[in-house]
Amino acid sequence: MTRSLPDQSLGPEWTILELLARGIIDDSEVQMVRDLLTTDTLKWGELLEQALRHKMFPMLAHQIMSASLRFDVPTNIYMHLESALEWNRWQIEVFRRETVRVAQALADRGIPFVVTKGMAFESTLYDSLGTRYMNDIDFMITPRDRDKVMTVMQELGFRPFFDWAKDARREEISSRLNPDHLPKLAREIDQPGIRLIDIDIANSLTWTKSPFDVPVEEALENPVEQPIPGMSGVSIPCFRPIYQFLFTVLHLFREAWLQKFVESGTDVGLMKFGDVIRLIDRNQNKLTDSELLRIMQTHGVTDAVAWVLRHMDETFHTHAVELLALEKHGNEKLLRSQMRSPGYVNAWSESMRGRLQSKSRGSVQPVAPAHRGS
Amino acid sequence: MDDITTQFEECLRRHLRSAKPNPINYDVELVQLGLDSMTAVAVLMDMEKTFGIRFPDDMLVEGTFRTAGRLKEAVQLLRERQAS
Repeated sequence: MTRSLPDQSLGPEWTILELLARGIIDDSEVQMVRDLLTTDTLKWGELLEQALRHKMFPMLAHQIMSASLRFDVPTNIYMHLESALEWNRWQIEVFRRETVRVAQALADRGIPFVVTKGMAFESTLYDSLGTRYMNDIDFMITPRDRDKVMTVMQELGFRPFFDWAKDARREEISSRLNPDHLPKLAREIDQPGIRLIDIDIANSLTWTKSPFDVPVEEALENPVEQPIPGMSGVSIPCFRPIYQFLFTVLHLFREAWLQKFVESGTDVGLMKFGDVIRLIDRNQNKLTDSELLRIMQTHGVTDAVAWVLRHMDETFHTHAVELLALEKHGNEKLLRSQMRSPGYVNAWSESMRGRLQSKSRGSVQPVAPAHRGS
Repeated sequence: MDDITTQFEECLRRHLRSAKPNPINYDVELVQLGLDSMTAVAVLMDMEKTFGIRFPDDMLVEGTFRTAGRLKEAVQLLRERQAS
């Protein structure tokens, strides 16, 4: 997708991260990032903090290393970035091996599944550079296989794990009452620098009782086999591009539209949009086909997809709505809304750009009382 | 076993806006009193804290709190189990 250069009204630090998130595609962007990284007014503290908040630390490190900016960056910061990138590459390698181990066990039992998100994108959208940060490994299964998969995972040494949450009991109850995911699973490992491997297994493209959903059984049909870098002859099943796109967009919608993710500080970040931009860039022919629109209309998710793409276009100067012919879809009321809890929708007037940059999103208040809606 | 009605109803009223001004009808679905997936979590946690109980996994299902009557039965059962 062509896009104009971002405006710099939010400062050079934010502009650098926006450019990296959407992907550097031409010389003018390469030069802009280089100029911004070497500007005298750059606040390194702000840049590093925002890179961490948006899971972009390895990507920022890679950009600086590959642009040969060794002597333009404060030495201690450069060294830290370098080791962070190396550590991320090591973690990805460990995650790859674990992904294959779990995938093999599920396949041996004939359970349909795909690998999603970071592990699926790392090689296809991020060229196996070790720049895509991931804190867990994600799988998608059907709801009917929940018990079978739980048994397999326990045989592999995984246990339900809630300690990651601020309130572990709340998270435990919530995961039992909202069975769109298995409880988060973890296994202790004995690898340098990595103590636990977390696995997140979803059985819905969105959330329990969501008004916007695509049947997971349909999405899992005809997966594509994706080679694992560095492991000759080994591959993992992933969604085919149309469903990969739908899942990624609807997952972003879930984290951005449901207020509970804002309150817990785990809502949408720059890289979630970065994934969507790259998916469109690399699968344009398949996504502009009429099949995508037909599937979206069949399942009533067009407005949710348009919500994401319109916010994305406004924020990153992309043209996804036009490219996917969704100009007539999505409505203003939905676009400026956020779901407080099932059935109750708040008006929301903030821009996505401002929200992404904000460090206190939990304090953002709705602009109007909640109303009953879908 | 003590009558838990007062504490039980106070607990519900803390979370369910529609239950506040009126006597609680134990047969009406809690959804009609404003229960949703988020308040359900809050109600169950408050019940655990108030009565010193812990809902086992097999009770963390919608049926347990479909009505105030069902939820009160569950709380009483867990209190009895704990006492014995």
